[in-house]
Amino acid sequence: MKKLFWIVSCLCIYGKANAQKYPTLTEQNNRLTQLAKSHPQWVNLQSLAKTAGGKDIWLMTLGSGKTETKPAIAVVGGVEGNHLIGTELVIQFAEKMLKQINKDSIQQLLSTHTYYLFPNMSPDAMSAYHDKVVVEKLGNSSQTDDDRDGRLNEDGFEDLDGNGKITQIRVESPVGIYKVHPDDPRVLIKADLSKGEKGKYLLFSEGIDNDKDGSLNEDGNGGIHFNKNLTYKHKTFAPGAGEFPASEIETRAILDFLYDAFNVHTVVSFSSLNNLSYNEDKTTTVVSDLYNKITGTKDAPKTNAEGGDFLSWAYQHYGRYSFSTPGWWTPKAKPDTSKKEKALSVEDPTANYLRWSAQQGLSHFNEWKKIAHPDYPEQLVEVGGIDPFVMINPPYQLVESIAQKHTDFLIKMAQLRAQVNIQKLSAEKLGNGLTKISIEVINNGLLPTHSKFSDRNYFVKRLKVAIQLNDKQQLIGGKKLELINNMDPNTMQQFSWIVKGSGDISVEAGAPSIGVAKKTISLQ
Amino acid sequence: MKKILLYTIPFLLCATVNAQDPNQVFKAAGTPVNPKVQATWNRYYDHAGITALCKKIAAAYPDLVKLTSLGKSYAGRDLWCLTITDFKKGNELNKPGMYIDGNIHSNEIQGAEFALYTAWYLSESFADTKFIQELLADKVFYIVPSINPDGRDSYMHQPNTSSSPRSGVKPVDNDGDGLVNEDWYDDLDGDGHITMMRRKSIHGRYKIDPKDPRNMLLAGADEQGDYELLGMEGIDNDGDGRVNEDGYAFEYDPNRDWGWGWQPNYIQNGAYKYPFSIPENRAIMEFVMKHPNIAAAQSYHNAGGMILRGPGASADISTYNSQDVAIYDAIAKKGEELMPGYKYLVVYKDLYSAYGGELDWFYAGRGIYTYSNELWTPYLMFMKESTRSPFDNSSYNFDRYLLFKDGFVDWKEYDHPQYGKVEIGGFKKNFGRAHPGFLLESDAHRNMAFTIYHSYHTPKLSVADIKEKDLGNGLIEVTATISNERLMPTHSSQDIKNKIERPDYISINTNAKVLAGMVMNDADLNISTIQKMNPSTIEVENIPGLGTVKVKWILEGKGNYTISVDSKKGGIASRTK
Repeated sequence: MKKLFWIVSCLCIYGKANAQKYPTLTEQNNRLTQLAKSHPQWVNLQSLAKTAGGKDIWLMTLGSGKTETKPAIAVVGGVEGNHLIGTELVIQFAEKMLKQINKDSIQQLLSTHTYYLFPNMSPDAMSAYHDKVVVEKLGNSSQTDDDRDGRLNEDGFEDLDGNGKITQIRVESPVGIYKVHPDDPRVLIKADLSKGEKGKYLLFSEGIDNDKDGSLNEDGNGGIHFNKNLTYKHKTFAPGAGEFPASEIETRAILDFLYDAFNVHTVVSFSSLNNLSYNEDKTTTVVSDLYNKITGTKDAPKTNAEGGDFLSWAYQHYGRYSFSTPGWWTPKAKPDTSKKEKALSVEDPTANYLRWSAQQGLSHFNEWKKIAHPDYPEQLVEVGGIDPFVMINPPYQLVESIAQKHTDFLIKMAQLRAQVNIQKLSAEKLGNGLTKISIEVINNGLLPTHSKFSDRNYFVKRLKVAIQLNDKQQLIGGKKLELINNMDPNTMQQFSWIVKGSGDISVEAGAPSIGVAKKTISLQ
Repeated sequence: MKKILLYTIPFLLCATVNAQDPNQVFKAAGTPVNPKVQATWNRYYDHAGITALCKKIAAAYPDLVKLTSLGKSYAGRDLWCLTITDFKKGNELNKPGMYIDGNIHSNEIQGAEFALYTAWYLSESFADTKFIQELLADKVFYIVPSINPDGRDSYMHQPNTSSSPRSGVKPVDNDGDGLVNEDWYDDLDGDGHITMMRRKSIHGRYKIDPKDPRNMLLAGADEQGDYELLGMEGIDNDGDGRVNEDGYAFEYDPNRDWGWGWQPNYIQNGAYKYPFSIPENRAIMEFVMKHPNIAAAQSYHNAGGMILRGPGASADISTYNSQDVAIYDAIAKKGEELMPGYKYLVVYKDLYSAYGGELDWFYAGRGIYTYSNELWTPYLMFMKESTRSPFDNSSYNFDRYLLFKDGFVDWKEYDHPQYGKVEIGGFKKNFGRAHPGFLLESDAHRNMAFTIYHSYHTPKLSVADIKEKDLGNGLIEVTATISNERLMPTHSSQDIKNKIERPDYISINTNAKVLAGMVMNDADLNISTIQKMNPSTIEVENIPGLGTVKVKWILEGKGNYTISVDSKKGGIASRTK
């Protein structure tokens, strides 16, 4: 009974959620400024750059004291301009951390560890969510000739049905490759031509072929996509990718900052890519296990990085552990038996979304409606489809609880990092003022000191083991300074030196992304 | 009035102070006899020297030369660019451009003098050389003598070898120990040159060359040596057991920083953070992006006597297709003729594979036909094949008989804190890679001639022929032939493949109504492709080198018309009928 009540009240909230929009950039900026103002000892807020559209790229540093000397996680949102929830997850992480700043555990964390938050890497694109005609936009405000025909922005979208949203058009055509979904006639799926199926429709985004080049809406307003503009496998000249990698102000702003931030050990970004729900890298399954446990999520769609993306850059070129998650995806909807639904005979994300959203009391489908279309004067053309943004971003009402889980994850994530300690510092007298000093360096964290892959990356500082001598001491054997390649968790390495002289001698083992362990011994 | 005085006075001063009395000189063919800007081409100029020369050339020829700064280097030096064209004849952006730079690697200095010589020669020869007048009416030269002025000054004014520094001066922790530039060469003998260290040792593998005692030879496999070589002049400054391992000479490689096929440092040694993360290169990139008329480019390196084209990496073999290779081959073969001792080579196959190089970005990223010349070759010493190998005595002989031992620091004893008693000596930093003075001007001239040949073969467009045909009912058919008289097409194949530059526009301007426009695929057989929209401006993807494009319009009504062609890399031309 209690449960039923809970469900009913949730449905009521969802009814409202339907109307509730994600905040504007200004509202989000105000929240960031507010946090910085109210917690100056824990928060530093700076604008790294202004985009082509004149919007700030914010960096919020959570931590205390000399934050650049403490191991850090970078948390990045707005990796894609239509991923509204990503930006909210980053901002709400800051809000939720600071809300509990009086807890010892949080103060302890922020005194020994830093978080670099980049709430929104695509502010130009994301502002389109609040435009009069709503369209999912990924490109920034740089001027681009997406179809490379010499004309700028000559063929953008048109809101043909005047409903204030760019959805889709379907055109009945003998060469159509789409057919109606057997379980839901609103949904179009690809006909399997190889099996002799016939298509009935062509499917396009809403608009007309303004430049009569045979492609619809191929060159509208909207420039470079942040998540296609990075250096790893950049698709030079592809629409949205840019003339060369890192061509954009926002891309360079984050790269310039991070390349100098040697203390970052892990990058967590929110984007359509997901390597947290599924993770093929054995050395970091501990991270995905943690993620799945804390968020309780399942059935995540599998994703593939397509080049130029931030997730791959952070691992391949920056040399750090790099994770990404969409934060939310449409849960797998169970058939509604009251409507005599059966399991979908053809799995399809749109059909699944429509079932799930109906069960939540949401209605984001625009019924197909006949219109006259100048490019297809003799054919049946209909406008319709799902609202922009809703399949990528959950109803705003759900964001709070999702943000709480991701906050918990990001807190625990800091504790998985490599922990390097010096144990068994010993001094063995060899006679005549000579001493052999030995230590064991151990990694008792849950992740390696850095990925094996980045041993040769000079933007990754390897673990440094060094001995410090004073003027009266002389190194007879051993290396004054040694840089150690990737060291796995629960492993140990021994180092020793032969020193002539007496007095205090200290040895240290550490790196900016790990912290420095130091021990001192007195020689007689 | 005042203004006129202001302009004429410096001009007169210039003429009287700098120029030789014309009665005292006799013209050598092919060289300006009495130049307004007196410049000496048998020595090198530091950044201040280059700046002064650039300013003089620009001041002496305001109708031919404009001096601009493309931006600042890391340490704040100007990146000077001389724009050279006949400014009285047309807008520079409507002329095919030839871009030339030098000195991307700090120690590879003579490219700056070669580039500057070109600017000087073009402006000083304009008055009495018809070929140059025609060239500067049609083309524009963008000459950036040094795209790495910080590195240039540091090579000249700091102790260095002939090979250091390679990079600019932005500091990098190369060995990853958290310290920056903590252990570099030390000019132990204080002569401004970093030479070698040798130590007498019965375990050494080297011996003195009996043909020239300054030279060290590797002892034979079964032979005992007298000396060991201890590397370049320096000490282990940071006590890590390695000598000269983290210095300013190799922070990064500016020629691994360009936006095509870029790879990070652990794959491509020398790469920095991302393409154009070096400020000097970023300024050049921004300039090139704003000058789509640049159709040809030349960058100067040293050494070895090479005319290099891409690809820089084998991954890009397919980027260079046969049509483009044919053009590269034709121009470079001429270059081999013009520059004795220089060989035409392909970077990835004949040199080494490198990602993110300048010439790859110019060609693959912007569709510009580009060469890199490795200036100076040992061939030039005795005009015959020779090498820099210690077993080939030609360097020592050349230094002895032609430079009178000015190129060598004699071995001298030194007490080294780590190695004990050593000797320091070897070739000076200005020997081996930089031209000796007396050969500098002649090789600069030959390389310039190569770049002039290259620029001459950028497209030259004209509306060559117009034919009319009456179709009856008040309709007229106008067929125009657009001709390209030079070797290069308006779009390289790489450009067409990736649609880097917009199509060429062939348009008709008339009071008559333009009913249709089409490209003639075969005029004889009357096969055409009709343009869908905007028939008065026909878009063609390319106008081939030494070839033509035909277009046809159907007009309704009578009237005069002008047919014009407008190409980003091919310039403009028009004809009225």
